[in-house]
Amino acid sequence: MSLAVATRKAGAAAIFGSHGVPHRRVEEWKYSDLKSALGEAGIGTGQALWQAGTLLDGVELFDLSKSNPPDWVQKHFGVADRNIMGSASLSLSDGGVALRVAKAVLAPLKLAFDGNGHVRGLLVLEAGSSLTLVESVGIADFRNVGFEIVLGESASLEHVRISPESGDAVLVEEASLRIAAGGRYRGHFAGFGSKLSRMELEIALEGEGAEAHLSGVAVLDGKRHSDVTTHVIHRHGNTTSTQRFKHVAGGNSKAVYQGKVTVAKGANGSDSNQSAKALLLGENAEADLKPELEIFADDVKCAHGAAVGDLDAESLFYLRARGIPETEARGLLLQAFLEDAVAEIASTDQRELVRTEMLTALKRVA
Amino acid sequence: MLEIKNLHVAIGGKEILKGLNLSIGVGEVHAIMGPNGSGKSTLSYVLAGRAGYDITEGSISYNGEDLGALAPEIRAAKGVFLAMQYPVEIPGVTTMMFLKTALNSQRRARGETDLDAVGVLKLVRAKAKTLNVSEEMLKRALNVGFSGGEKKRLEILQMALFEPKLAILDETDSGLDIDALKLVAEGVNALRDPSRAMLVITHYQRLLDYIVPDRIHVLAGGKIVAEGGKELALELEAKGYEHIVKEPA
Repeated sequence: MSLAVATRKAGAAAIFGSHGVPHRRVEEWKYSDLKSALGEAGIGTGQALWQAGTLLDGVELFDLSKSNPPDWVQKHFGVADRNIMGSASLSLSDGGVALRVAKAVLAPLKLAFDGNGHVRGLLVLEAGSSLTLVESVGIADFRNVGFEIVLGESASLEHVRISPESGDAVLVEEASLRIAAGGRYRGHFAGFGSKLSRMELEIALEGEGAEAHLSGVAVLDGKRHSDVTTHVIHRHGNTTSTQRFKHVAGGNSKAVYQGKVTVAKGANGSDSNQSAKALLLGENAEADLKPELEIFADDVKCAHGAAVGDLDAESLFYLRARGIPETEARGLLLQAFLEDAVAEIASTDQRELVRTEMLTALKRVA
Repeated sequence: MLEIKNLHVAIGGKEILKGLNLSIGVGEVHAIMGPNGSGKSTLSYVLAGRAGYDITEGSISYNGEDLGALAPEIRAAKGVFLAMQYPVEIPGVTTMMFLKTALNSQRRARGETDLDAVGVLKLVRAKAKTLNVSEEMLKRALNVGFSGGEKKRLEILQMALFEPKLAILDETDSGLDIDALKLVAEGVNALRDPSRAMLVITHYQRLLDYIVPDRIHVLAGGKIVAEGGKELALELEAKGYEHIVKEPA
């Protein structure tokens, strides 16, 4: 470990030490009480696992548990984390995976996190490179993933993460992204819930023309919980961010979306559009949608909207009056409700994958 | 085929239909005319089975069966079709996918086998052509961004596809210019059949120039207040509803 990395780890330990495991009285964790979900077991110090798919031409991998990390790892690893759980994984994990992409890679790269404990990921896309990253989430009692993603100038990343229905698992992940001028990030987060599942994203748009497009669906039943918390920071002018999240909550489940957009001073010409909608299918289901804008620049275009509702009675009647049985009609309307968020996925294969998972989950819910 | 006796219907406790009687035989085309607020749309919705329309008294018998006791999808499978005044826009469901699902749902409920995608497509294309419904419309989300005329043409296309025994057309003329109206009326006339009954609900006489009914009923204040042959429409057009509707609506 280099001195710089050691210093970053020590800093992270100090941040986590001063906060401890987040609970519902910590504003950002109000709807996802991690401390109570973990109970006495706490966050532990275990080392969680990772597995990368076939390494494609143009992709370099470094195992973070090994010594003598290359320069690109030393430069980018552990730089971005300021939040509580990201600090925890940075200070507690001695392993993980670092990936570097040097050119346009056409085939998707698979990456899985698995097992109990803490683990780190680092993905660096050099200027002009591009990648589709398919992230899968293994079931565990508790796992905390800290993921840093760096997009160089005009680099492009499509990131699809599917978090399957995971019973009693407590799964949290914090991704920190830094996007340089002309860089383009598309992230889709499909969640089917567990005892507590949280995906937190902090995205800094750092150069002219940088873009981040976030979308996601959640389909929850039983006592499942799913939380997507985002913070997009327009640090530079003429940057764009869009967010489109659709959640369906049945049974006693709880769907959370917290989305904060900050436009820094001087980041004029920034354009941000945020939409989050949830459908509640039961009296005991809960949806918490919290869009938030923080604007320090003068000339910006920011729109946000959030709505929680039930299935539209008129649409349901229309379909039934044409012969479609009620359960099927409800399923069709739920699918239609989620569709525009799924349509944000650019890759056809990944879109179909998410759609298939979504339909399976809808059968449980509708 | 359809026998409505002393029908009282309330929405949220407020009585809208107040003792309506109507009888339609197989192969007949009847029209219901009436001023705004007379209960025309309530009648169409209660026949199709919309939730919240409570039958408080009286009965609706359809081929000897108590229609009021059936779920909307069962009524559809048994041949009841309502062409709606305001077809609902459903983003995320393509028109073609909807037609296939609806058609096969009805077939399944009747114990028939599903038609495959190609079979449905062939059937839809054949009907779509005469109604000037384009391939492009069928690929779009159901009714989303459709003009008033396109929506009504799609309703009639569904009627042609599902081949109902009792077709109810609720204000099918509303929002149509004369060319669109003629096209829709031709579509409806092509479906006139000795085995099919139709109930055409309209505010204006105009539609009845093109779809000529066997019988006209005037609905006002939740009841049928006058009945007659097709000449009644002309009388209404000339003298207005007030002439016939003596009681305040």
